[in-house]
Order: sequence, then C-alpha cells, then structure tokens
Amino acid sequence: MNNAQQTARVGLFFILGLALTWVTFETLSGGTLFKNKGYTLVAGFESLKELKEGDEVRMAGVKIGSVEKTRLAGRRAEAVLRIDADAKIASDATASIVMAGLIGTNYIGIDLGTAGAAPLADGAEIQTRVTPDINTIMTEIGNLGQKLEGALSAFGTTLNGDGKGGGLFQKLDKIVTDNSDRVSTTMTNLQEITTKLNKGEGTLGKLINDPALHDELIAAVAEIKSTASQAKGFITDAQGIIAQVKSGQGALGTLVYDETMANNLRVTVTNIRSVSDKLAKGEGTLGKLINDDTLYNTAQSTLKKADRALDGLGDSGPITAVGIVANSLF
Amino acid sequence: MKQLNSILEGFGSTLQLLVRTFSYIGSLPRQRARFIEQCYLIGYTTLPIVAILSFFIGAVLALQAGYSMQNFGAKQFIGSLVGLSMARELGPVMVAILLAGRVGSAITAELASMKVYQEVDALETMNIPPARMLVLPRLAAVLVMVPVLAIIADLVGWFGGAIVAKYTSFISIEPEAYFSVLRRYMKFQDVMNGLIKAETFGFGVVLVCCNIGLNTRGGPREIGAAVTRAVVVSLILILVLDYFVTKILL
Amino acid sequence: MPCSSHTRNPFTAIETPAVGVTVENLSKSFGDHVVLHDVSFSVEPGEIFVLMGPSGTGKSVLLKHIVGLEAPSSGRVLVNGHDALAKETREQVRMAMVFQSGALFNSLTVYDNLALYPREHRVSNEAGIREKVMHALQILSLEDTAQKFPSELSGGMKKRVAIARALVMEPQLMLYDEPTSELDPVMSATISEIIASLKDEYHVTTLVVSHDRDLALNIADRVGIMMDGRLIFLGTPAELREPKDAQVAGFLYPKIDLKHPRFKKLET
Repeated sequence: MNNAQQTARVGLFFILGLALTWVTFETLSGGTLFKNKGYTLVAGFESLKELKEGDEVRMAGVKIGSVEKTRLAGRRAEAVLRIDADAKIASDATASIVMAGLIGTNYIGIDLGTAGAAPLADGAEIQTRVTPDINTIMTEIGNLGQKLEGALSAFGTTLNGDGKGGGLFQKLDKIVTDNSDRVSTTMTNLQEITTKLNKGEGTLGKLINDPALHDELIAAVAEIKSTASQAKGFITDAQGIIAQVKSGQGALGTLVYDETMANNLRVTVTNIRSVSDKLAKGEGTLGKLINDDTLYNTAQSTLKKADRALDGLGDSGPITAVGIVANSLF
Repeated sequence: MKQLNSILEGFGSTLQLLVRTFSYIGSLPRQRARFIEQCYLIGYTTLPIVAILSFFIGAVLALQAGYSMQNFGAKQFIGSLVGLSMARELGPVMVAILLAGRVGSAITAELASMKVYQEVDALETMNIPPARMLVLPRLAAVLVMVPVLAIIADLVGWFGGAIVAKYTSFISIEPEAYFSVLRRYMKFQDVMNGLIKAETFGFGVVLVCCNIGLNTRGGPREIGAAVTRAVVVSLILILVLDYFVTKILL
Repeated sequence: MPCSSHTRNPFTAIETPAVGVTVENLSKSFGDHVVLHDVSFSVEPGEIFVLMGPSGTGKSVLLKHIVGLEAPSSGRVLVNGHDALAKETREQVRMAMVFQSGALFNSLTVYDNLALYPREHRVSNEAGIREKVMHALQILSLEDTAQKFPSELSGGMKKRVAIARALVMEPQLMLYDEPTSELDPVMSATISEIIASLKDEYHVTTLVVSHDRDLALNIADRVGIMMDGRLIFLGTPAELREPKDAQVAGFLYPKIDLKHPRFKKLET
C-alpha cells in the first residue's frame, strides 16, 4: 500500500461521508436549502395544532409543497408554505389544517377555489378556515358527556329525592300507604257499581242493558251518520271549488292581481255564507240534524242520565285520590 | 481508596495528555502523512465492519419493532422508530464501540509496546514529544473520520430496517411508506446530534486508549493487560458519556 | 548556543563544544525502595566515563536522570550547567541515548529510524537528511540495512543502528546503556571500538553504563563503580587494574569457585 493510494482512499472516503451527510440533510430538511424553488404563501391560524415544519401541503389531496416555517405573529400563528412553482392556487382558495391520522399527523389542505380566480402571488396570504381537530372533538364529546351526566343526576334527584323532601317514589309510596284503607273501600265501591251496571240496575245500567233504548240510540246515530256523509259530499264540493281557485291562475298571484278571479271568490264566499245561514235556520238535511229539537232533547236526556250516573260515582272518593296523584305528579 | 486514587490519576493524566496534545496542534500540517495513515486505519479499514453491523442492527430493530407494534396497530411507524434510534443512539454508540474494540485496542497495543520497548523514551531523548507524534495525528484522524463512519452507519441501518420491513411477512411495509414516515418524524437535527455524540465518543476512546498505552509500565505482559484495560475503560466511558451528552443535547 | 547545522558537513566540524555532566547528591527511591543513595560525580567535557556495577544497582536509573526521563527524589543533575529536568536543557544541549534494547521504532525502516530526528526538527531538507543518514550508516557499515525493518536485524546490528541513530542527532553528549550486553565477545569489542572512535573523531562527551570489564579498561578515561545505589569507586582504568578495595576487586575479578559457590552462600 503506497502513500498515494492510501491518501486517495482516505480522500474518497471523506468525500463519500460529506456526500452522504448532504443527501441526508437534503432529505430530512425537505430540500429547502439548495433548491429553494417555488414560492411561499402565508397562512394564519388561531392555532397550528399539531402542524410542524416539513409537513406536506396538499391541494385536493395532491402534494404541492411543504410547511417551510411555523411562527407566532402577533395574536395568531402563521405557517409559511413553500409551494411548487407549477402549482397555481386560486386567490379564493382556503387552507385548513387536516388530520391525516389520529396520532399527530397533520397536513395543510387547500381546496381548489373557483376556476376563474387569479392565482396567489409569492408571499401572499391565503384564506384559512378552522377545522375541528381531534382535541376539539374530544372536548365536545367531553362537554356532551358532562351535560348528560348533569341531566341524569337531576332526574335521579327527582326520583329518589335530595334527602330532605323526598322524591316522587317516596311521595307515591306515602300516598298509597296513607290511603290504603280508602283505596280498598274505593275498589269495593267500584266493584259494586260495575256489578249494578252489569245487572241493568240504576240509570246507567238501564241505558247499557235496555234493548229498546239501545235501538233508539242506534237509529239516532245512523241518522247522524247519513247526515254527516251528506255534509262530507258538500265539503268535497267546496274543496273542489277551492282547488279550482288555487290552480286557476297560479295561486296567490292571480288572487291578488286578477280582479275577475277576486270577484268570483267573493261570490263563492257569499254563497258559502248563505249555505251556512240556511243551516242555521234548520233548512236542509244538515240544518235539521243540527236544529231539530227532538233529536236534541233525546240526546240531552241521554246525557242527563249519564250525568246522574256520574254523580253517583262522584261521591265515592276515588276521584280525590286520583286528583292528589295527578297534583303531585305535575 | 487506592482504586479511587488510580481512577482519579487516570482521569488527571488523560486530561494532561489532552492539554499537551492540544499545545502541539500547530504541528499537524507537517504530520500530514501520519494523519492520512491514521485516517486510513481508523476510517477506511473500519468501514466494512461498521456497515455490516449497522445493517443488522437496523434490521433487527425493524423486526423487533414490527413484532411488538403490530399488537396495537402502529407498525407503520417502524420507519421513524428505526430512523430515530439509529441516528440518535445506536449508530453513534455502535461506531464508538467498534472503534474501541478495533482501533482503540490497536492503539493501546502499539503505544504500550513502544513504551515497554523504550521507544517512547527514545522519542523523549530525541526531544520529540510522544503527544505530538503519536497522539495528535490519531486524535485528529478520529475527529475527521468518525462522523463519516457514523453517517454511513445511520444510512446502512435505515436501509437494513427498510429491507426487513418489506420482506417480513407480518410487517410488509413498502420502503416508500417506511422512508416517508422516517422523513416525517425526523429532522436533520436528530442526525446531527448523533454525529456530535459519535464525535465525542470517538475522541474520548482514542484519547483514553492513547493515555493507557503511554502509561504502561513493566514488561511485555503489561501490554495485554493495558489493552484489556483500555477496552473496558473505553466501553464504560462510551456509556457514561452517552448519558450526559444525550442530556446536554436534548 | 551556535548551531548552524544546515551548512556544516555532518560529524566533521565540531562547532559546538562538548558538555560536562555534574551529578550532585542524587538520591532516588521508588516508594520504600531506595535505588540511588547520595550519588555525586562529574563527567568532564570530551571524556569517556564508564559507570560499572552489578545488575540492579541503579545505573540505568541514573542514566534516565541525566536525560531527564526521571526526576530526582533529592539532589540534582546538571548538564552543561543546566538542570537536566528542564525542558530547555534538551533544546540547548543535544543528548543522544543508546538504549539497552536499541529502542528502534519497529514500525519504521532503518532509514526512517535515522531520519526521524532530523525530519521532526526540520534540520534540513530531504536531500540533506538523506546525506546525513547515509553518512551515519556508512560510519557503522550499515548501508545495506537502510530499507530493512528492525525486526529483520540481528542483535549486534540493532545496537549499531541505535548508535547510528544517535549519531544523526549530532550529539554533544552520548549516553550508552549496556551497549555490549547480549553480544558475543567480538561484537562487544567492535562496539567498544566504535564508541572510542566516535569520541576521538567528534569529541563528544560519552557516558557508558556497562558491566563489560574489557570495555571499561580499554576505552574509559575514568571509571565509576556503583554498588547498592552508592558510588564506591571513582578512578582511572589504571587504578582498576590493581584494585585496593576488596569489594571492587571482587566485582571486577570474580573467582569462579565451584567448591564454594556464591549462590549457595547467599542462601545461608
């Protein structure tokens, strides 16, 4: 091994080392030192979150540059983006910090903007918008959880009491315990009443069990039915008229601007009023159903009988218990 | 007490040697030939073993990481794990350990035999300080060569990891993905820290080995003992320095 | 100190005067072990002083004190009036030492061994160095060995190369540590002749540590004998031929008595 050869090898070795160091530097620093190509944009955010230097800048998912520098500028954080020279960014495009994964990988996402907009120049500032990151989402979920918990615990307090006045269940329990005698009496009375009803005793019982009365009621109801179907036909007619009004010349516009149409409408309304007047005077089938005194009387006497039956029930007391229950509930 | 004394003595004499060597730094240009020779011995001839070892260290790192990280679905981060471990810790430490075993022991053996056979005394009577002629070229050479070895170790280790990540069935990560993650989570600063560490270790190892060699007393038997001591002290030094240098650089 | 070695033909014109060595009350101990005990003597400029004594009596340690490799426990060593320990002394006075083992640099060829000193001290350019080195090798008839490594040489050749290496330094003071040990009688005689002729031709002060009686009696101007770290004799070779002191006589002219061997007496 002569000296010259040794020197050459050492020299070569050292140059190799320098070259490798340079390559490593280029690769890891995003190649910003020697190929400062492209142009820069400034993106201001309230917070850069997990964004750091060297992260990618993507436009519609395509890598077009990298984050060159992150810095604080006054009351906001700024990311200086180095964008490839051939990537044009519309001036109305917005940048946002996008999470690529749950664990800390972020990149700057830029949307396409509108087609005709002028491209951003070197050093210009790009519009930004805030996107929720994992932390905000977590915070929201946390808040929601807290609210849910608060609601549940309030509900729990209502049901179980806060330790002093007693909750709903305690109150219900107390009512039932205090009134157990009365409740059982009520039950007995109720049984007695229903038995009587069943045997046709008493007014209500007769109403339910007397076949003649029943038939009369059926006939009355049938008459009501037929009257009602006639009324239905009339209403269908009216509906048809209204549909015609509606579809006539385009709803509200015609109604407001077309005078003949407005006049027709007025006439229609007048007709409707005369129909209802006739109904009030007992003319026509519907009018008779509404105004016929005999039917009214029959119905009234039936109702009176039911009223009396209910009066009998009214004295018994269970209603009071139900009232108390209702009061304490609401 | 006696041992503590000898440790302190060794420490003191090493520092003295360092100061003395520094005082001759102006003579380095004249010692160009010796410097190149030492560069050759320390750098060039150590390269193959460094390359082989770092390749397999990177490979086994990827393998172990893949095995343990697949359990929680983080195996796509193997690239950054191998990259950072190699650059910040294993590359420098491994280069330093190889230097201690391969270069340090040779230095100690050579200087110890020179001392035992009175060659060092002869230098003294010729008014040629051993620190200037024997220590300075070696220290200078190690400073120049160790970063080269370390960066090669880093890169070879990364590639070893990449190959294992691709061809191991339960990992199967493409090199593109591996290096993309490695690049994403690494800064050049990490590599730089590793190089500084390697530099510190290499310098310390050569200095300690020179000092132990030059302080050998007695007969040929002592040469072997000196070499053993030099390697042991070097390894301890590497790991102790590792902690403190890492702490300073963090 | 005039030193115009660049122009002067090596080893011929003696411009620098030979230097003297003074050892004053020198004591040296390693731990509890006393190696040198209050030794005082002086070597006159230009003479050959042979220091004799049994092995292990501190002769080599004394030599190391003179070249400044060891520091005295007490007393001092002066070379040409300067303290031997001071760094400047080695720069002002050129001392060359021939080690017992030769102490050649095993990694260098014979030529590079000789050229090391002039190269390191930039005595002259490479051509001048070559002239010096070849001249020194020629003096000792070693021209053929120039490109050999020390490991390829015999013991006697190594000693001669070591002497040649010392010569290249153009020393004012030459120190020899056991120059004839481990050599056959003829080679020992050759080395003695070399030492004497170098002194005659170049007028260097020479201090030889040896237990070679023939060397001492034949080439020494004065002889000192050390025993157990003390100087017990200081005189001329003529005085040594008829030693009055029994101890000196016993050391110089030991009788080989097989009936009463000394090593057995020592045991009792």
